[in-house]
Amino acid sequence: MNAILEVRELVKRYNKARSNAVDGVSFSVSEGEFFAFLGPNGAGKTTTISILTTTLAPTSGEVKIAGCDVIRQAKEVRDKVGIIFQQPSLDPQLSAEENIRFHACLYGVYGYRPTFRMMPKAYRERVMELAELVGIADAMFKPIKKLSGGMQRKLEIIRSLIHTPKILFLDEPTTGLDAVSRRGLWEYINQSRRENGTTVFLTTHYIDEAESVDKVCIINHGKLAACCSPGELKRTLEYDPAPKVCLPTLEQAYIEYLSKTERGAA
Amino acid sequence: MDIAVKRNMTGRMTGFVRELNAVLTIVARGITLTFKSPASLIMSLVMPVVMMYMIGGNLQQNMAGGLGFDFGQYMLVGMLVNMLFTMTSQGLSSLVEDRETDFTQEMLIAPVSRYSIVIGTILGSAFLAIFSCVGTLIVSLFMGIRMDAGQLLAVLGLSPLMCLAAGAFGMLLLGAVKNRKAANMAIMIIPMAQMFLSGAIIPITNSSGVLLVLSRLMPMTYCLDLVRAVVYAGTPEYGAVVLFNPAVTLAAIIGLTAVFLAVGTFLVARSEKNR
Ligand SMILES: Nc1ncnc2c1ncn2[C@@H]1O[C@H](COP(=O)(O)OP(=O)(O)OP(=O)(O)O)[C@@H](O)[C@H]1O
Ligand SMILES: [Mg+2]
Repeated sequence: MNAILEVRELVKRYNKARSNAVDGVSFSVSEGEFFAFLGPNGAGKTTTISILTTTLAPTSGEVKIAGCDVIRQAKEVRDKVGIIFQQPSLDPQLSAEENIRFHACLYGVYGYRPTFRMMPKAYRERVMELAELVGIADAMFKPIKKLSGGMQRKLEIIRSLIHTPKILFLDEPTTGLDAVSRRGLWEYINQSRRENGTTVFLTTHYIDEAESVDKVCIINHGKLAACCSPGELKRTLEYDPAPKVCLPTLEQAYIEYLSKTERGAA
Repeated sequence: MDIAVKRNMTGRMTGFVRELNAVLTIVARGITLTFKSPASLIMSLVMPVVMMYMIGGNLQQNMAGGLGFDFGQYMLVGMLVNMLFTMTSQGLSSLVEDRETDFTQEMLIAPVSRYSIVIGTILGSAFLAIFSCVGTLIVSLFMGIRMDAGQLLAVLGLSPLMCLAAGAFGMLLLGAVKNRKAANMAIMIIPMAQMFLSGAIIPITNSSGVLLVLSRLMPMTYCLDLVRAVVYAGTPEYGAVVLFNPAVTLAAIIGLTAVFLAVGTFLVARSEKNR
């Protein structure tokens, strides 16, 4: 399969930092793949995503998305990616729908019109359908300030998919969401994967969300610790450190793997 | 207006049409924000009362003798340009403020030119300046200062260039000053200094020394002079009011605006990326 994302020897050292936040990372993601990028707090996940989505300049290394270089062809890359930032990035002064409209128009999906009613029918139907799906249809015309944290997150998810990106970056998309909403959200993301073949690049601290991914990479202290399928990760730990009756969950495997590599490094 | 919209394979706009749509979208956001913040609307209308009536009126009554031209009209033109300048560059600081909610990130990740983002933000914040100009004109009516329709149209016609010039200067400040708080402060204080240095209300015909040098460094000096050259064209006061050759001034403004915009945008985009 074609690699949609190729990362080679990526290094990032923040200004005035004494060590590398990302330290020589290489991996690739195939087109249409569901990819999980896991690691503890401060491991370098957000830093990596920021470089991949062109908002942060790397110190060295090479990154290509759909064949375009993130430094030299930043605009082409931005055209192909969608992202949910770890930090909320809605405009708190606008209404929910205005935030979506602003995004869709900025990406050239629709021509700008000053009101929702004046927007093309396709837009209106799409927005309301998506809002219905994640259960925030009632809130679409309220100011962002009046939406709960979880509702805002759902809105950001709608926003990130309205321009049907080829690859969607999700930086801890479900923090703060209730169980039902999390389920609904994943159904929506999976639907988008099926219909548009969207590649999904996920970071999360809810390891169970990564149970069904095609490939998982574990990053720790800026270095890749493992890159394989969830099944392989579980099997490497089947007899190690202790024999198990049944295969561990991905979460158990992840924690054991981390503590093992941590001990090995020390 | 019906433009044959060019779209690529994914059904999205491409090229110039996309950039234009992006600028329009960002301008529209600026206008929406203006209407959603009654406080800034009220301030933009109260400002002219303080500036035009209190400062200007007092100067007119007490100090404007023997200038050789009508001070009221001189000041009105100055105030209009000053309003465009101050309001636009203050609005530009929203690019910095948005950072607190990380909204700037959301804008910078869009597949459009950085210039479209900057120009859209400048023109969007210029919208509030229009209110101040209307306020200024209303106050001036009460003060008995007259301007004929042709002169008013001339000011109006030049106003987009004034806003861009102000915005470009603001961008340069944002890009040159590393510390965000300091940049925000500079963008508040410099327009204030400019008002006094560039001849918006106080003529600078006889300035000398440091004040002369400073006045020549302020972009607004040239913008003001250009507008006055157009407004006073063909009147006997022209020689006493206008300092430079308007053709040269126009060329200088366009040139400096382009350079400031390019350098400022480059610096801001770079400091955004190189953390
Ligand atoms: N703007 C910055 N300037 C300097 N150092 C930074 C900056 N942002 C992050 N870092 C450092 O880089 C390292 C990686 O941070 P990063 O945000 O990528 O972690 P993360 O894996 O996303 O963690 P989390 O799970 O907590 O979100 C950390 O050591 C952090 O202190
Ligand atoms: Mg993070």
